Amino acid sequence: MKKHKVCAILNLNEDGSRLAPLTDTRPITSLPFGCRYRLIDFPFTSLHSAEIESAAFFLTGNGRSLHDHIRSGASWGLDSSIGGGLFPHTEIDIKEAVETHQPNQLSSFYHDQIHYVVRSKADYVVVMGSKMLCNIDIQPLLHYHQEKGSDVTIMYKNVPKETCTASAAESHFSFDAEGTDRITGINLVSHTPEEVGRVALSMGIAIMRSEKFIELTTEAGKQNLKGDTLLLVKNQLEHNKVYGYEYTGYLKDIDDIQSYFDANMDMLNEDNYNALFNRGDAIITKVKNGAPTFYSKEAEVKNAQFASDCFIEGKVENSLIFRKVKVAKGAVIDHSVVMQGSEIGEGSHLEYVILDKGVKVGAGVSLKGTPEDVLVIKKNAVIEAEKGA
Amino acid sequence: MRTETLAMILAGGQGTRLGKLTKEIAKPAVPFGGKYRIIDFALSNCVNSGIKNVGVVTQYQPRELNSHVGNGAAWGLNIHNGGATILQPYSSVEGEKWFKGTAHAIYQNIDFIDRHNPEYVLILSGDHIYKMDYQEMLAFHKMKKAALTVGVIPVPIEEAPRFGIMNTDQTGRIIEFEEKPKEPKSNLASMGVYIFDWAMLKKYLIDNQAKERTMEDFGQHVIPAYLRNNENVFAYAFRDYWKDVGTIESLWEANMEFLDPTHALNIRNSDWRIYSQNPSAPPQFLTAASNVTNAMIVDGCYVAGEVAHSILSHNVKIGKGSVVKDSFIMADVTIGENVTIEYAIVGEHARIHDGAQIIGKEKEIAVVGYSEEIGGLKDEEA
Repeated sequence: MKKHKVCAILNLNEDGSRLAPLTDTRPITSLPFGCRYRLIDFPFTSLHSAEIESAAFFLTGNGRSLHDHIRSGASWGLDSSIGGGLFPHTEIDIKEAVETHQPNQLSSFYHDQIHYVVRSKADYVVVMGSKMLCNIDIQPLLHYHQEKGSDVTIMYKNVPKETCTASAAESHFSFDAEGTDRITGINLVSHTPEEVGRVALSMGIAIMRSEKFIELTTEAGKQNLKGDTLLLVKNQLEHNKVYGYEYTGYLKDIDDIQSYFDANMDMLNEDNYNALFNRGDAIITKVKNGAPTFYSKEAEVKNAQFASDCFIEGKVENSLIFRKVKVAKGAVIDHSVVMQGSEIGEGSHLEYVILDKGVKVGAGVSLKGTPEDVLVIKKNAVIEAEKGA
Repeated sequence: MRTETLAMILAGGQGTRLGKLTKEIAKPAVPFGGKYRIIDFALSNCVNSGIKNVGVVTQYQPRELNSHVGNGAAWGLNIHNGGATILQPYSSVEGEKWFKGTAHAIYQNIDFIDRHNPEYVLILSGDHIYKMDYQEMLAFHKMKKAALTVGVIPVPIEEAPRFGIMNTDQTGRIIEFEEKPKEPKSNLASMGVYIFDWAMLKKYLIDNQAKERTMEDFGQHVIPAYLRNNENVFAYAFRDYWKDVGTIESLWEANMEFLDPTHALNIRNSDWRIYSQNPSAPPQFLTAASNVTNAMIVDGCYVAGEVAHSILSHNVKIGKGSVVKDSFIMADVTIGENVTIEYAIVGEHARIHDGAQIIGKEKEIAVVGYSEEIGGLKDEEA
């Protein structure tokens, strides 16, 4: 691929409010997932696989955990000194607050995006977020876009209607006729006829020529729309050829605690695990040094995944265990997600629990959620058994 | 900025006693402990000791070693005023610069060392498993005003005939060196760790090269020459875990010792980490059919069988009904269903087909070479 043919814009200012407390101090994009990844690893890996070496990302709120994870972007080949690079655009909420005093200007959010695209000298722009967990291949998307002579091509997946989350309500497509892929409407799930069982859910991933991006972005800027890829084209469907490109791999909209938990549990299903992790190149993440994971003579492990550097002496079933987790003798973990550096004391019992990073669970503690109401323990919490209980 | 101490890791050893495992890769690049290669210990020791200029001298089957060490980034060596440099023999106008021995390899790289203008040169072997703070040895070297300090490790006296043995006086000064003595006078074995004053070593190497051209090996030639000339040569005793993994049995044994969570090497101690390349691989997946006890496993593994008292490296797949016991499985090995592996070392990229049996004994470890295929078609033909 010619250098700089495609550049990328990552809209990482996604609404994480329904993922609290996991998103208290981190954006959705740096949510830990699948024992050793962050959600940002998936779009970044897709960029790397497509040899895209330049990307700008837009972030609101506390970006420390994201910056710590991605650093120079070198892991994903985003630090090329020849035209490439990772361009962070943060504090867009602060800029926004300043702008309210200066009306009638193109907001700095859109100004920054246009500025980046112009400077990148790319022919095409791919726009994506990170809360739609998937492993996409950008090259076929681009080829399809070119073949169709499309103005904008958006990726979607056909999903059962009932799986659409609340925030996905205004994000599924209608096409001009059955079996064709020109998008003529972007709809609310609640507006689909009752007999319709499946909907074409937008994945918030779009590709277009740089000039088209600048044109649509300028327009969106004038209307003060913000953030979502779909907003760029929502009111422009009549004047532009907008096509849908179907994705058939693993997809989960990480929108609330339940969908986050379910996505993790999905990985214990081999089909899902292979669809996400063993499709093409390995998912790239920031690698860390650490010893291999140790399972003692007493360890009992079934249907579970682990990162490296764990020390397992207890029983672990149907669970995902991140790096540097210690599970003491006699502890039982079932249907749980245990993040990096947590320690589970002797004889403790965890069921349907998400432990954020660095949680210390003392000996003999019982923590139980249910499949529909998963218990979330905040980062670095220390939980001891109640005396006399 | 002047470099006080430059490290030179001699990583060219052929390692013939490791048989199949060193047929295609140099001994220092042989995998160890699930996610390491043997040279990681020397490299990490350098970095942890604050020595950030390291020359890695390679010669024999260097491809794997070169790609592993790369620019040294995995050890934090891709820095300004420091770094890892691969030093390979080459043809020059004066002739081919092949290395005839450890000392000769240093002689051939005098230009590289001089460019850093170091006061001391730390010479290491790339094929030992140990954690050592070289700064402590350097402090000893300075305190003794030594011209050469040799790292030694006390070994059981009955094993001493296998090693180069240093006989010292009460002050730790080496008065005699015996290579593999039949009747050793002491149990202080050379670890292959030397600190030399560079100016003096350089003079010895150049003078000798100009005349006799006999100085090929540190143990056989340089140390005896220093002793003959009454230079200050001291022994520095190291008392922690140190292992020469030069044979199949010792490589297997070192891996099994490494499995012990109370092992003296203490690999989980983050104060003295052992760094290595860390490939991106999915989380390890132990399925509902698996049974894993007393094992070390790293990323990318998929286990549907039984693993007991064994180490699995990156991306090892083990099918249903298979049993892996007392074994060390290297990276990217695929093991089919109903396979039995006991007392074995299985090389990288090997494929063990359904129903195969690889059974060794404690003193007779079975070895499967890199990319070797066991079972499968051959059985069908029979």
